[in-house]
Amino acid sequence: MSLKIALKNYFILFLPAITIMLFMPATSFSADIGNCLLCHKYPGISRVDEEGKLKLFYVNEDIFNNSVHAKVKCDGCHTDIKEIPHKHAIKVDCLVECHIIEPASKKKFSHKDVQTFINKSVHGVIDNKGKEKKFKEDFPTCKSCHDNPLYRPISFFKRVRPGISEQSLGRCRVCHKSEDFIYRSYNHVTTRLHPLNIAGVCAKCHNDLALVTRHGLSTKAVYSYGETFHGKAASFLDERIPNCLDCHVSKGESVHQMLTHKDPNASTSEQNKGKICTTIDCHPSASPKLAKYGVHSEFNLTQSPAQYFFTVFFIVLTGGTLLPLMVIIFLDIVRRFFPNASIGGRK
Amino acid sequence: MEKHPMIKIKNGKKYFYRFTLNQRIQHIILAVSVVILVLTGMPLKFHDASWAPYLYALFGGIKTAPIIHKTFGAILMALFVYHVFYLIYVIRKFHIAPMKKKNGKLSKMEVAKIVLTQNLVPNLKDAFDIRDLMKYLLFFTKVRPDGDNFTWKEKFDYWAPFWGMIIIGGSGLIIWNKELATQILPGEFLNFSLIAHSDEALLAALFLFIWHWYNVHFSISVFPMGTVFLTGYMSEELMAEEHYQYYVDIMKKAGLEDEILPPQRGQSHEPPEGGNE
Repeated sequence: MSLKIALKNYFILFLPAITIMLFMPATSFSADIGNCLLCHKYPGISRVDEEGKLKLFYVNEDIFNNSVHAKVKCDGCHTDIKEIPHKHAIKVDCLVECHIIEPASKKKFSHKDVQTFINKSVHGVIDNKGKEKKFKEDFPTCKSCHDNPLYRPISFFKRVRPGISEQSLGRCRVCHKSEDFIYRSYNHVTTRLHPLNIAGVCAKCHNDLALVTRHGLSTKAVYSYGETFHGKAASFLDERIPNCLDCHVSKGESVHQMLTHKDPNASTSEQNKGKICTTIDCHPSASPKLAKYGVHSEFNLTQSPAQYFFTVFFIVLTGGTLLPLMVIIFLDIVRRFFPNASIGGRK
Repeated sequence: MEKHPMIKIKNGKKYFYRFTLNQRIQHIILAVSVVILVLTGMPLKFHDASWAPYLYALFGGIKTAPIIHKTFGAILMALFVYHVFYLIYVIRKFHIAPMKKKNGKLSKMEVAKIVLTQNLVPNLKDAFDIRDLMKYLLFFTKVRPDGDNFTWKEKFDYWAPFWGMIIIGGSGLIIWNKELATQILPGEFLNFSLIAHSDEALLAALFLFIWHWYNVHFSISVFPMGTVFLTGYMSEELMAEEHYQYYVDIMKKAGLEDEILPPQRGQSHEPPEGGNE
């Protein structure tokens, strides 16, 4: 029997086990109405796909139950799965009409509008002329950035800090009586990517030299950001420090609306750049000139020639100062072992 | 009796006065500040290094370490400003004023000459001393150069931090006060300031920890530590080894010609007895 056939029959081979499990008492899960965790709670559940890649189908119950999608039924996203056991699930379409009635419009909720924004943004695969961009496979999809475990709620009560704000919840309780609803709503509204992970998410693409070169970008953006004080402070876990989005997303807009710096409407365009640093949260007393600071300058002759030569000057100065002195130290140490020696007995 | 005689005899050994209390205090403030600045600055420069978070955490991490860095940076800048005024005061009081008393009003050229012939200003003898030291170290001669009051090594030790203070201090002030600085300067200037601050600081740190510490701590002549920076006095053996020309001058002025040690034609492995006082 070929490997392919064996793989295709994977679920059939496990059918007896699944049948037994069906008769076991199911644990109650917030969104697992379809009882999917009956199988998917087992860490080993996996298969090798047709391309030879190991696919893991394990769902960590704790992580899922604390994620923004905890209230969504499994089949809310996995719409193709109608029965258990099931065959191959198709990839989840994040734009599908899903789980809840959106209270403002009373319609089924969907993330479709996000895609509309994305299409107009620098990360959309369609250009201004309606043509597909080159290397469209490089452009991010929802799941390139949205990876549940990285997200967590943050408290916005007086100070921004991680976790649930009891003070904020107290205000919600005045009108809303369901603790579960309050907790979930707070989580939904305040759950964000950890500021320290934002650069990491962008780095998946923007630190990939091949991708950066392919798209004609001037810098490995997260690397060059990492060399600034902001980047370094972020690496020492300072959450107050601005990350990629603080500069590249216009105030009042979403990351999904991020524009290229060549677009005059972009926060990073020549016209708007001066306002980035001078916001009330950052350097309000600064002049717009502060934004001319080269956040993404690299030690690179083509990208930043003046800074390149300036750095080379200090490298030469350091080497030119220390190397001769170290030679003298070495010779001095050697000389002290032979204090009265000289070549040819010279005086 | 002089408060600080040029030659002090203790337990039958001669010690030579080198640094005033004021100078020693300045040096200690400089040393402590520089070490703390290096310890709170290098983890940022090498933020990816495995040791960086641990060292930074010792100073309170990202919330506190920058405050400590700026505090000691300010102390060092204040010391530098004080030192410049101190230099001007000392040169005016002990060099220009006596000349004025003797010769009347001095021309600009005469003042410049006084300034340029100060003990710590590099001169032609330093160039010859470097050449002669290389000859000695490369076994072309057994004779060490006879150092003056301040050898070329000490002048290097003095002027390197002096230049460093201007570069590192100036760039540090710009980075610290970026909002104010960019009212006048272009934003790109911050990039250059950061490069200068960080790279010059690395050079200064390596210079101090390799070169200066070798000369005052690790060299066989002084190991484990020369104490002249604490007491202000240097032992006769070290004076004869490093400052022979100056040593002979002082001994002659003190009328001790008969007790002048012979020039050191090479050094022994044994550290001089007693080292510095």
